[in-house]
Amino acid sequence: MLAKLLKYEIRATGRTLLPLFLSLLLVAGISRLLFGAGHQKWDVATAISVAVYAAIMAGMFVMTFVVMIQRFYRNLLSDEGYLMFTLPVKPWKHIVSKLLVSMIWIVVSVVVALVSIIIIAYRQGAWTKMVTFSGGWGSSAHFLAFEIIVSALVSLAAGVLLIYASMAIGHLVNRHKVLASFAGFIVLNTLSQIVGQLFRSLLHIVHVNSGNFASTQVLNELAIACAIAFIALLSAAYFALTNHILAKRLNLE
Amino acid sequence: MSAILECESLSKRFGNKPALSDVSLEVARGQIVGLLGPNGSGKSTLIKLANGLLTPSNGKILVGGREPDIETKKIISYLPERTYLNDWMRVHEIIEFFSDFYADFKPEKAYDMLKRLSIDPQDRLKTMSKGTKEKVQLILVMSREADLYLLDEPIGGVDPAARDYILQTILSNYNENGTIIISTHLISDIEKILDYVIFINQGRVALTSSVDDIRDNQGKTVDALFREVFKC
Repeated sequence: MLAKLLKYEIRATGRTLLPLFLSLLLVAGISRLLFGAGHQKWDVATAISVAVYAAIMAGMFVMTFVVMIQRFYRNLLSDEGYLMFTLPVKPWKHIVSKLLVSMIWIVVSVVVALVSIIIIAYRQGAWTKMVTFSGGWGSSAHFLAFEIIVSALVSLAAGVLLIYASMAIGHLVNRHKVLASFAGFIVLNTLSQIVGQLFRSLLHIVHVNSGNFASTQVLNELAIACAIAFIALLSAAYFALTNHILAKRLNLE
Repeated sequence: MSAILECESLSKRFGNKPALSDVSLEVARGQIVGLLGPNGSGKSTLIKLANGLLTPSNGKILVGGREPDIETKKIISYLPERTYLNDWMRVHEIIEFFSDFYADFKPEKAYDMLKRLSIDPQDRLKTMSKGTKEKVQLILVMSREADLYLLDEPIGGVDPAARDYILQTILSNYNENGTIIISTHLISDIEKILDYVIFINQGRVALTSSVDDIRDNQGKTVDALFREVFKC
């Protein structure tokens, strides 16, 4: 059932986002051609293409964000929820399918942005430079890079789930649901900050005490691993809260 | 066999406003039941509770002996009083969607009904009138072989001529062993197909009776009895 939900979720969101991704790459290509044709100065054509490029880039990120919120709110908590919640599907699968698809599109939009920048700015020999540059990093850097990617993904999940949980909290209130969602967001976010601060203080004590028998590098890697674990725990809490509300406290108007 | 739908002291409040108060009833299998009451009497609330779209404030509601969950959703085919389909899909895509999620959905039945109502499966819902959308939803709901059909105001939005066709569609397509609960305030239109009626008023059950009993023992039509019970 999860695979089927994912299929429809990708279909429902892709029809809005894919044209945006493609048009960004297209406009990047056009800008590149204009540059290549010797329009080095800011003549009208280049200026327009760069302006359009910037607008699409901004629009792409905004739309990815809007689609993430809209799909959860409209598809689950408004009229379409009448269909989604009468399907023989456990509520957690709805959350997972929406979360995964949102994360995929956010990652894809970042990749598309990077590719478009490369299209515009690529100069001969740039790759070789990049490769020589990163080649000197060594294996510890590779592990660090891995940790950074994992922490970015976990943080992304936490961010999306925080917004889902806020909307679920807003749903508990009879009136002013949007306002209640914002209030839910502020409360959840503040609570998370407080718990995070406590966790950091705790980590700091451990860090100082173990300073004698571990190298700085190991400690840094450990610190990032702990941060990842903490953010993963937060995500799990947001997920559990959202799931509880959708499974046990659902009240569609 | 056990009742298909049971309520035990079921109550639902929205804030301080009671929508259903202390409702207890049982609906046996294999009948067509009219859930009848004026606007705002709690008909939709009861149906939504059975679907798990609302959570009871007090008491219990059981479908086939279970509180609403994934198993009850498999056996209920629900027609809501509003449009629950997104507007960007084409009709054949929605049929595919239903086939994917409901094991008891019969696509050939749906295509057959679409053809008889001259609705093109390639059409997008966005371009359809409200009445046509309602017909598409009814077709989807009646193309399942469910144990319990919950139809909330299935004839509310269509003209009298289409009403007869829709009632015919309901009658000729439902699973023979299934139960249909139809909520409406347009009683005279559906009276002839009902086996059993539940009158509901201001969130309370005012009367439950078999239609034969009303006709034979009280010598009244359901419509006349309704007017009597709900006299303003």
